[in-house]
Amino acid sequence: MHQQPHTQHINTVVIVGGGNAGWLTAGRIAAKHQGQVRVILIESPGIPPIGVGEGTWPTMRSTLLALGISETDFIRECDATFKQGAKFARWVDGSPEDFYYHPLVLPQGFGKADMAAYWLHGTSAQDMSKAEHISQASANVGPFSSFSNDLCYQEAICERGLAPKTIRHAEFAALANYAYHLDSGKFGVFLQRHCMEKLGVEHIQDDVIAVQSASNGDIAAVQTQNHGLIAGDLFVDCTGFKSLLLGTHYQVPFKRCDDVLFIDTALAVQVPYDTPDAPIASHTISTAQDCGWIWDIGLQHRRGVGYVYASRYCSEAQARETLARYVGPAIADLAVRKIPIESGHRTRFWQNNCVAVGLSAGFLEPLEASALVLVELSAQMIAEQLPATRGEMDIVARRFNETFLYRWDKIIDFLKLHYILSQRDDSAFWRDNRDLTTIPQSLQDLMHLWQHRAPGDLDFTSNNEVFPAASYQYVLYGMGFRSETARQSRQLTNWDFVASQLQQNRKMIDQALTLLPSNRELIEKIRQYGFQNI
Amino acid sequence: MANLVAVQPALHQHLLVLPSQIDVHATGQNLIPLIPGELSHVATQLPVVLAKNGQTGQFVLAALTGFTAQENLMMVDGQWQGIYLPLQIQRQPFFVGKATPDAADYVVCIDLDSPATLFSAERSGAQQLPADAETLFNTDGSETAYYREAKLKLAQLLQGEQQRELLLSELLALRLLQPMSLDITFADQSTTRLNGLYTIDEQQLAALPAEHLVRLHQQGLLGAIYAILGSAAQIYGLIARKNKQLGD
Repeated sequence: MHQQPHTQHINTVVIVGGGNAGWLTAGRIAAKHQGQVRVILIESPGIPPIGVGEGTWPTMRSTLLALGISETDFIRECDATFKQGAKFARWVDGSPEDFYYHPLVLPQGFGKADMAAYWLHGTSAQDMSKAEHISQASANVGPFSSFSNDLCYQEAICERGLAPKTIRHAEFAALANYAYHLDSGKFGVFLQRHCMEKLGVEHIQDDVIAVQSASNGDIAAVQTQNHGLIAGDLFVDCTGFKSLLLGTHYQVPFKRCDDVLFIDTALAVQVPYDTPDAPIASHTISTAQDCGWIWDIGLQHRRGVGYVYASRYCSEAQARETLARYVGPAIADLAVRKIPIESGHRTRFWQNNCVAVGLSAGFLEPLEASALVLVELSAQMIAEQLPATRGEMDIVARRFNETFLYRWDKIIDFLKLHYILSQRDDSAFWRDNRDLTTIPQSLQDLMHLWQHRAPGDLDFTSNNEVFPAASYQYVLYGMGFRSETARQSRQLTNWDFVASQLQQNRKMIDQALTLLPSNRELIEKIRQYGFQNI
Repeated sequence: MANLVAVQPALHQHLLVLPSQIDVHATGQNLIPLIPGELSHVATQLPVVLAKNGQTGQFVLAALTGFTAQENLMMVDGQWQGIYLPLQIQRQPFFVGKATPDAADYVVCIDLDSPATLFSAERSGAQQLPADAETLFNTDGSETAYYREAKLKLAQLLQGEQQRELLLSELLALRLLQPMSLDITFADQSTTRLNGLYTIDEQQLAALPAEHLVRLHQQGLLGAIYAILGSAAQIYGLIARKNKQLGD
């Protein structure tokens, strides 16, 4: 092969691997560069997708919009439901009444005042009548219960199983911010049809058996079993855990992070509802167990439940028992699937003219549903920054790598945060999670700062942030962490504003509870009538 | 709730309808459903808007008659104050139904609980009945001119509903709708904000490619679209009615 000149235009993108990662990337590129760039997706006919990742972020709404997908069609065909954040049960001390929320709506008054500092102050005043140093002004504000309930109306919506919107809201519009739970397998099929019928993505069902290199080290083409050589200007590796192009061909090292996040195994099971009209939870329920935690995601026709645990603390037999206890007797007739989780990511994601998206780039335990959102963010950046020529590609690649290395690090930090604040003492799993040597320095530094103040936007100043300061606040104060803000008490003078914000939150709760239908009821209406596009 | 039964000559020989009571059905409704065919009549006296059904989220085409859910400013002492009464009210107390859910044919039903329906077992005391009372059947069992007229209105409504569905699906597909946002201050300085109402997006309409305009015209929808646009200024008439009410 002759060397690709620097001026070679990027005309053809070849995506190796289907699944949600492959089709989302193909769709984003095709939608953005329709008619300009040819998008070919090669998929092995024999390989079923892993099908993990049933939880999304609100970003999925903009992704669906960018792809030109109707929300009604998506909900009907992907068994999808509404997700309004996560409920973390038994993470703090393991008692039955122990829970907190990480909702998708920002805390009331966030950005207008240091609401977290006021809230910490107010709860102290309420808890400690002896505390003379607490200003009298705060005594009239409240009463305070939990951070997520005092400052966010979404917890009340979730606790009652209500939807984030009504049938009168337009597609993608809402009363409360939301994401989705979806059937990963159905989503893949749905995306494939949309990409092929509406966006002109070409589909080749074949096995890639070899890679043909150009003299500059780029991938010139991939060799397929039955369709010969498929040439391209950019190759996207969506081959899952195999990481065929980035891992096998380019030998980009894999950086494990099991020294920070111990979980390495998932036991997943699909649990049917007892009755067709059973309530659907409108949030992900994550319940801590002795050596990990159980996810519980309500779709339209079934729940997806799984125990993720660390095998060095717990045998598979014990884990199966824990899962069975959670699911109940119904588990006897259900197939439990074991999925290994190798926590970590590649040290680079874009090498030469090859970029990895999805499991081929890395994977973490599904604690904050980071899998699909990373696919979306990757697909978006590739589509929007698609280099015009090969000459620009190395710059885009470098920036892509910096962006996503940063994002993986921040996600790892944020996941670890859930573990280090737990007071659970029922196994070495929880005790070891608090061991300083397992906590990244970046997280230790932040925790150091937050000893004396609440997380703020200036702690997270990159354009590439994944979790905002509000998310850290929800987890920190949900888990009972106390920033010692006594020194700030002189600056906390605007208690009238705080009182009005708490009042506003109670008003929003009342309004939401009157207006919103149950998650199940709205899903039924969408199936029957659908949303309007305005 | 309406109490609907199928109209049958044998059973309803003595049924009377009081046309003067029909208007009452508009009481307490601030949105009265319309069909495209009557827009030219309505648009000269009331704003025509689109709103969503609370139960289904589906769009309805309606005349706006009040600023809150229960308010109908066109009703005074049980009488409609406009020149033209929307067909949806005119047709009372008659409805179109099906004998069984799967039946192909329609049957005419009457709402026995309507204030306009009077079931008189004896017609001997005729002088005590309101002067305008109408019967459905003659003594020989044939239909009266009044009943034939009532059935005609139902047929008109039924056809109009198909035309309305066509209009709504075109408006949505061509993205010709936009939400209305109106802050209104009445004479007594009280204010209200109109939410949940939609109207035609004039800019979008102006930018519509010719082939779409031709199609709308051929389907007989273009007139309806301009009638909706033209009706917007009738909001001032409605505000004037409200101010008059506040002044009384």
